[in-house]
Amino acid sequence: MRYGTVSRLSILLLALLLSPLAQSSGCPDADPEALRWLDKMSRSVHQVSYHGVVTYQRGEADMQVMQVSHFVQGDRSSEKLTQLTGQGAQVVRVDHPLDCVHPGHKLLRMSEHIQGGYCGIAGHYRFSVTDGDRVAGRKTVRVLVSPRDMYRFGYVMDLDRKTGLLLKTTTIGRGNVVLEKFQFAELSFNKRMPDGIEIEVVHEAEHPVPGVSTEPTRLANGWRVRWVPSGFLATDTQPANAGRRTFTDGLAVFSVFVEELDREIRPGEGMVREGSTTSYSRGLSISGTPLLVTVVGEVPVNTARMVADSVDWVR
Amino acid sequence: MSEQLRESLSALMDDEANELELQRLLKQVNEDSELRSTWVRYNAARSAMSGQEVSHMQLDISSRVREAIDGSPGEARSLRDRLFRPVASFAVAASVAATVVIGGQQLTQINGKDIYAPGAIAAGGVSPVGMVNSLGATTVQASYGAEAVPMLQPAARTAYKELARQRMQMYIQEHAEHAALNSPHGLIPFARVPEIRE
Repeated sequence: MRYGTVSRLSILLLALLLSPLAQSSGCPDADPEALRWLDKMSRSVHQVSYHGVVTYQRGEADMQVMQVSHFVQGDRSSEKLTQLTGQGAQVVRVDHPLDCVHPGHKLLRMSEHIQGGYCGIAGHYRFSVTDGDRVAGRKTVRVLVSPRDMYRFGYVMDLDRKTGLLLKTTTIGRGNVVLEKFQFAELSFNKRMPDGIEIEVVHEAEHPVPGVSTEPTRLANGWRVRWVPSGFLATDTQPANAGRRTFTDGLAVFSVFVEELDREIRPGEGMVREGSTTSYSRGLSISGTPLLVTVVGEVPVNTARMVADSVDWVR
Repeated sequence: MSEQLRESLSALMDDEANELELQRLLKQVNEDSELRSTWVRYNAARSAMSGQEVSHMQLDISSRVREAIDGSPGEARSLRDRLFRPVASFAVAASVAATVVIGGQQLTQINGKDIYAPGAIAAGGVSPVGMVNSLGATTVQASYGAEAVPMLQPAARTAYKELARQRMQMYIQEHAEHAALNSPHGLIPFARVPEIRE
């Protein structure tokens, strides 16, 4: 999928690569302004009340349209995503404490902590800030995000100038190809809950309690991932024999799933990609046990392959 | 194996390695047993080789490929040439990644060695990569899409792709739950789930 804006984006990205690098103490070329915007963006998605209409595009598929609402009351927030096209499903999350900050957001709230050689997310991406396009009638600031290694995608993120809310994200793969795009088409900050939508399925979003695993154990033995790209952290606590592990660097997220098989599998690998999501499955045998390892996430396939390759039993 | 080598190897598997990365890998592959075993495993997975014979699969940086690299008038080429003509070196990189040698006698031996155990290749007494004595061995060009490979099973490939597609459907919602909590988009990652289950 290539858009007319791609060439403009590539010029911007090139300019970003070639620009004299801003200096920050202890962490060369970390752009403090960009880090402040990321920090603000991470807070606003939890702390601001808004509702709006978001479009989602990837590949040749039809554009999806959804309504998102986020309301803050006291020290808790509730949010809702309602599909206006397609399946007509709704995802809700209620009573999310504002002080519940998951690892991905902790990684984005580092603007005060980048010092003494610790670069945080700025060690894995280059950032720069320019003026953004108008999105949903709002003026935006654009944060250009280009990965420093080949294990992650790049992003163009347009943030609301006033609140820092993320209004548009373009995910960019190798060769400046646009992989997917989220964008607000309409946005308001009033507290009226929209209604009148016909909903088919309501799903209550899960919420792991930090430090406690609610995950069923799926494997007889404990396993681990020996390698993830630097900067990725586990998103939650899992028993060693759970079926899933998820990792984030603050912007990208991938999950590793391991299945024990009851018979030999021909060693091999397969992959599919939808938008920015890669699914990579690898059949192998570790210490005589046949396994299927699958990595699902918004990372390039080489990342998925290398993570899958590093799965091992805990001895 | 250093992070840099790991990255170069990953690039090679995706046919994206540049000449510099390729040279770095070739230089290190004889000394670094982890690099060697990882390289062999990646190739094994890619080629969907069957059974335990995989443990005897050896990489051959065949002389022809080596000539192709060394023989390119590297010294004479300007930096500009190197920067603006990367395509040729990609092609070389791809063919190196895909060149495997199967020891003829070894194919019939099955000793059940676990190739996926760490260091199995290094410990298994297999001759070092790049030093393969091709006497009695069959060179197989396992380049993607080439039909010349008897070991390559198109059916297995299709099956694996189908497996990856099914697993994406199966796991995407569980992944989205965690992406929604750990990326800056709120609940929007659920838009990637084709059919949301209750």
